[in-house]
Amino acid sequence: MILVQEEDFNVGALYQSLLKANQTGAVAMFVGLVRQFSDLPKEVCSFELEHYPGMTERNLQVIVDEANARWPLLDVCVVHRVGFLSVDDQIVFVGVSASHRAEAFQACDFIMDYLKSRAAFWKKESEGSESRWVEANTNDEKSLERWSK
Amino acid sequence: MPKVRVVFFASLKESIGQSEYIADLTLPLSIGELKQQLANEIDKGQVLLAKGIQSSIDFEFARDTDIVPDSVNEVAFFPPVTGG
Repeated sequence: MILVQEEDFNVGALYQSLLKANQTGAVAMFVGLVRQFSDLPKEVCSFELEHYPGMTERNLQVIVDEANARWPLLDVCVVHRVGFLSVDDQIVFVGVSASHRAEAFQACDFIMDYLKSRAAFWKKESEGSESRWVEANTNDEKSLERWSK
Repeated sequence: MPKVRVVFFASLKESIGQSEYIADLTLPLSIGELKQQLANEIDKGQVLLAKGIQSSIDFEFARDTDIVPDSVNEVAFFPPVTGG
C-alpha cells in the first residue's frame, strides 16, 4: 500500500495491515517526525511538504518494487504526508513484513534511503515570518551507495 | 510546433514566479537544450541553469542528456528532493 496524503496516520492500524496470518515472522517499521528546527517557540513554527502529484506516487512504487525484487517480503506499506505540518507531527511511515527479521530490517532501511533521494517531495520550514526550503543532504545521496549491487 | 506543458516545483517555482509554462518546442530535443531555451524565454528562467536542478519527463526522473520525445505530455524542473 502506498499513500500520499494530508491526513495523519495511525501506526497501530498500519502495523495490523502488514500482518499475514501464519506467515509473518517479523515486521520492521520506521516513522519520521517533524523535529524542532528553530530556536523560536514551536507555536510560531510550521513545516510544509510539497509533492508532485502523479510522479511522487510513481517514484514510491518504483522503490517498493525494487525492494520486493531484492528481498522476499510479505507486504510493504508506505505513507507520506504532504501539506502543512507542525513540530512533533508524523511525516512518513514505512513498514515491511517478512518471514524473517533480516529482510524486514534491510528492506525498511532501503526504502527509506531511496525515499529520501528518489521521491518527489520538498520540505519548507517557516519560523515566524521567515521561511526557507530545506536543502538536500549530500549524505542521503551517499547512503544509496551501500545498496549498489 | 508542439506545445508542451513545463511545470516547476518548490524553490524553483518561487524563483521563477510561476508553477507552469506552455512551451513551443521543436521536438525531439534534450533536457539540457530545453533548459537553455526556457532560460532565454522565461523571465528569471536563468535559475534553471543552476547546478543541481533536476528534471522529469512524464513523471520519470531525467538527465540533461535525455531526449524529450514527440509523445511527451509534461516536463518538470525542480530542486533536489528532500522528502522523508
